Amino acid sequence: MNTTATANAITNDPITLEIIQNSLQSAADEMFAAMKKTAMSSIIYEVLDMGTGITDAKGEIACSGAGIPAFVGVLDKAVTVIVEKFDAPGAVEPGDVFVTNDPYYGGVTHLNDIVVVMPVFAEGRIIAWTANIAHNSDVGGMAPGSLTGEATEIFQEGLRLPAVKMISRGEPIQPVLEIIKVNSRMPDVLEGDVWAAIASVRIGTARLVEIAEKYGAATFEQAMTSFMDYGERVSRSALKTLPKGTFTLAEEQDDGQVFNVTITIADDEFLVDLRDNPDQATNPVNTSRDGVMVAAQMIFKSLTDPYSPCNAGSFRPIRLLTREGSVFHASEPAPIGFYYEIDLRVYDVMWRCLAQHMPDLLAAGHFASVCGTFIGGIHPDTGRQYTIIEPQLGGWGGREGMDGNTAMFCGFHGETFNCPAEVNEARNGLYVDQMALNLEPGGEGEFTGGRGIVMDYRVRADDGFLTMGYTRSKYPAWALDGGNEGSPNYVDFIPREGERQRFAFVSGLKTQRDDVIRVVTGNGGGFGDPKKRDPERVRRDVSNGLISAERAREVYGVTVE
Amino acid sequence: MPAKSIRVATDVGGTFTDLLVFESDAATGEARVRSAKSDTTPGGYEEGVFDVMAKAGVEADSVGFLAHGTTVVINALTERTGVRVGLVTTQGFRDTLEIARGNRPDFFNLHYRKPEPFVPRRLRRELPGRIDYHGNEMQPLDLSPLPAIVADFQAEGVEAVAICFIHSYANPSHEERALAELARLWPGVSAISSHQITREWREYERTSTAVLSAYVQPVAERYLQRLDAGLAEKGFGGGLYIMQSNCGVDSVGTVSRIPITMVESGPASGVWGAAELGRLIGEPNVLALDIGGTTAKCSLVEDADVRIKTDYWIGRSRATAGYPIMVPVVDLVEIGNGGGSIAWVDDFGKLRVGPRSAGAAPGPAAYGRGGTEATTTDANLWLGRINRDYFCGGTVEADMDAVQKAIEAVGARLGVDADEAARGIVRIANNNMVNALKLVSVNRGFDPRDFTLIAFGGGGAMHAVALAQELGVTKVVVPADASVFSAWGMMMSDLRRDDVLTLLVDLTAGNASAIEAAFGEAEARARGRFAAEGIAASQVRLARLGKFRYQNQEHTTEVPLEGGPITAAGVAAIEAAFHETYEREYTYRLDAPVEMVGLHVIATVDIGKLTMTRHEVTGRALADAQKGTRRVDYALEGRHEAAIYDGERLEPGMAFDGPAIVEDPGTTVVVHPGSHAEMDGYGNIRILIRN
Repeated sequence: MNTTATANAITNDPITLEIIQNSLQSAADEMFAAMKKTAMSSIIYEVLDMGTGITDAKGEIACSGAGIPAFVGVLDKAVTVIVEKFDAPGAVEPGDVFVTNDPYYGGVTHLNDIVVVMPVFAEGRIIAWTANIAHNSDVGGMAPGSLTGEATEIFQEGLRLPAVKMISRGEPIQPVLEIIKVNSRMPDVLEGDVWAAIASVRIGTARLVEIAEKYGAATFEQAMTSFMDYGERVSRSALKTLPKGTFTLAEEQDDGQVFNVTITIADDEFLVDLRDNPDQATNPVNTSRDGVMVAAQMIFKSLTDPYSPCNAGSFRPIRLLTREGSVFHASEPAPIGFYYEIDLRVYDVMWRCLAQHMPDLLAAGHFASVCGTFIGGIHPDTGRQYTIIEPQLGGWGGREGMDGNTAMFCGFHGETFNCPAEVNEARNGLYVDQMALNLEPGGEGEFTGGRGIVMDYRVRADDGFLTMGYTRSKYPAWALDGGNEGSPNYVDFIPREGERQRFAFVSGLKTQRDDVIRVVTGNGGGFGDPKKRDPERVRRDVSNGLISAERAREVYGVTVE
Repeated sequence: MPAKSIRVATDVGGTFTDLLVFESDAATGEARVRSAKSDTTPGGYEEGVFDVMAKAGVEADSVGFLAHGTTVVINALTERTGVRVGLVTTQGFRDTLEIARGNRPDFFNLHYRKPEPFVPRRLRRELPGRIDYHGNEMQPLDLSPLPAIVADFQAEGVEAVAICFIHSYANPSHEERALAELARLWPGVSAISSHQITREWREYERTSTAVLSAYVQPVAERYLQRLDAGLAEKGFGGGLYIMQSNCGVDSVGTVSRIPITMVESGPASGVWGAAELGRLIGEPNVLALDIGGTTAKCSLVEDADVRIKTDYWIGRSRATAGYPIMVPVVDLVEIGNGGGSIAWVDDFGKLRVGPRSAGAAPGPAAYGRGGTEATTTDANLWLGRINRDYFCGGTVEADMDAVQKAIEAVGARLGVDADEAARGIVRIANNNMVNALKLVSVNRGFDPRDFTLIAFGGGGAMHAVALAQELGVTKVVVPADASVFSAWGMMMSDLRRDDVLTLLVDLTAGNASAIEAAFGEAEARARGRFAAEGIAASQVRLARLGKFRYQNQEHTTEVPLEGGPITAAGVAAIEAAFHETYEREYTYRLDAPVEMVGLHVIATVDIGKLTMTRHEVTGRALADAQKGTRRVDYALEGRHEAAIYDGERLEPGMAFDGPAIVEDPGTTVVVHPGSHAEMDGYGNIRILIRN
């Protein structure tokens, strides 16, 4: 007996298919590790604002190696656009690499996120694609770091790469690479990061070719198909256990807009209706429809089976309704720089809409903002330009039986790491004077929200800048079941001379030596009546200096000596 | 010179305490190797060591050299049985330990629980004073709050104090002063400051390292004292050496001061053993694979050199962030896939193996101790790979009814018969291990086909040939005494200390003298420490490695620096070596400036190694070593009538082709059809695979 596959036979042996599926996952993980280790932007190697993926020949996602959940369902959209655009015979050849960053050309997110895509050939045909997405520090546009609240059109947000070929049969198309490089304020970093992405897809492609050679292309394809069908079965089975019905929520945002969501959960469908929402904005707080789909996929995955593999099949029960021209389905040339805050708002609104109906699955609200903070200037020790691009940690919501987590990245992030103060001070021209828990009131409950943070950046040289955009700055994290709402996200700008100012959004604020940028992120929402909190927990909070004895008495009705 | 030299290695594992004794007669040159196992004795691990020595008939006063490996540190950490720790840190950073890095590996799980800090907030206290990243003092250290902090710690029952200040890796003077003042205020308290363990940046990782070290220090120190005293009482007057995570051993005195370095000592000794064996038999490029009861560990050895890293975490997985420990640990991948790993079928009909293990109790179904779930061992028994009449070297009667029930239950869920289910279990287990082996090889730019697979531990030899076939590896070596191979590795270790320091400087000719000075300083420090222990500088071997990256990158690539002192003229060669190493690992190179981020100095002292002895050849015929034949299912290659050999009767030079099985009391070697096995002069079985 010999079960080694011959080139054209299809094996339906479930163990062989399983082994191929495991190998796909290791390939995606390997692509991820390669990108992480070679990238030049801290937002890639430390924050892991990046993802890798493997799709089938049509562009359906089979497997992801992601640092953040928000990047799991992104790469298939880019591949799909490339598959459609390059459909002529011979238009795609082995060794080719494609690039897009434009949400109007499959890029989903914003222009900083460059997607690199490579075909996988076996037995003379495309059997899969490998893809990589990562946030690049500067892709040109009107402001350093390319993100600015001032943009009114996408043209102001950087170079647009509309799904084009960058490498042909293994040979770089130099003009394309040069155009990409020359458009950045940090050309060397951009070049390094693009090559890191190319290395990542090449490594993945080499791995997949090996698998296909070993088992045969047909068996390889069969393994992918059955993997997605498996994802679908898991989702459908979990969907059946969710409460059924139509749930709606209207929520006022910090800027006064009201966002509306209606979710209908049926035995075989998870329908999200976002049609009844404001028209797209002239400032960059819009998102592509693809972006909203990713948010819906994330909440659906968390509700169904957070542990099983995640692929196109997992998401098949989702149906999404949007209105073109609305803030959730922007049309060209609407600016989209801060799309992530809008996607996060949709995610949070969906979470809140469902939480009260399924408290065992969903906790109270978290600080729910990426809290993207961009600080730049000249490093006084090296004379070189530095740019910090970083999301912030904040508090998560409490739930029945458990206080919320303290100081975690928001729900859009995952295997994301904050920048150590010691690395920050060496690399960037500033001092970190403190990195502490946020002790402001907020998030009290039988189970409390976790704590946000307070971080002080003291700027070391004149003529730097600060750009930031936080949501949940006016309306903090929401509570559940009688808990207290959390506390807001904001930046306190404390100049060496002059008035202290508080911001939720600011673009290109000038900073001078010894000015302090104080980042404050919110505490998560509380769960349950604070008066019901176990007095032991209250006493522990007091002894740990998280609340004062007076507040313990006031809020929790517990006397602590 | 004594007539007999006796060297002993003891390795305390989760279930068993292993012992290996080498006796050699100075006059005749005759050598004898014996091994023994006894139960591990939690609560007082040293008792298990004394037990196993007694069992093997080893008289402590006759032993010249004793190497010891123990899980006491990792157990104290995972079972949370360390002491209450107080932390003193820089003003503004008391919450660093709790904030950690904010990551959430299990990212779709909205009920993720962040790991609890080992020190609660009330025991995390601050002192004013700042050093900058160059090591310059920005603000003097203010020790005036320390008496009140000490009083609070004492009132709270703190038993150990950790100190970690921002940028102490660049200038440890504030930590040194705080430590001295603490010792003055609280004589005798167990205390450690971060720079004593690591001189690398990243304050959360360094704080965590200091805290976890303080947490285990009293426990480990007491253990080592009891072991030392107990051995002395029995008349032991030889050298006692403790296995470290960096593949070296160190003196009991040094380890007692910083016991956290023992955290991965068990796996490290196995990897070192593989490296040493590779050197002996002329196979410098080795994939080391250690399959035990609950896990499989693998590591890559290139050019007879182990790779040491300092980004080690305990308890880290896809489900949780874990805790970092910045100490030198051999670079290995460990997966929850051992002989006792449980096979299960998920709700959607997919077969999985591990990471849950049947452990020692109830153990695999075959143990007949009430285990009802099929394990990899059960599948190996069912397929005839393990001899059901010689289970655990004949010490356990395999409960084949229980095995059948357990495997049939898996088959029923998959819709296949027991044979097919057992083959599936073995194939999935193999696939898990292949992926782990790829992580240490192909993922790092190495082609496994250039390596020899050395497989050991109770289960290594059972799976090695199948894994080699899958990876394209052509040579497999199963060492003599494979089931206690880690103890052998321990006995082959050098006294070894790895110093890793952060030093951020552009790699340019102009900086050569600064780089050379930094290496010189680190080397002088290493020599000085050995000198204080009576070891002459001439005995100390030093090796240098540099950590480099392209400017703006974060992660570094380590490159050996072998060209002697670093000079302006030599910088180009270093840069070229970096480009080359980088390109191999990542497929491209850049024309960008190169930065040096750190240095790594390895100081080793040879403390005498075993001389391997050749096994005797009596001229016995191969047929006399054959026990018989039986039907063996090789999974992918199907069933074959295999020759069964008694490993204890095989002699150097004997050779045979698969399908075959070699059995000895500790190991079963599965030789697949199409492969060729041969016993070498040292009793190792070498298998050639015709791929």
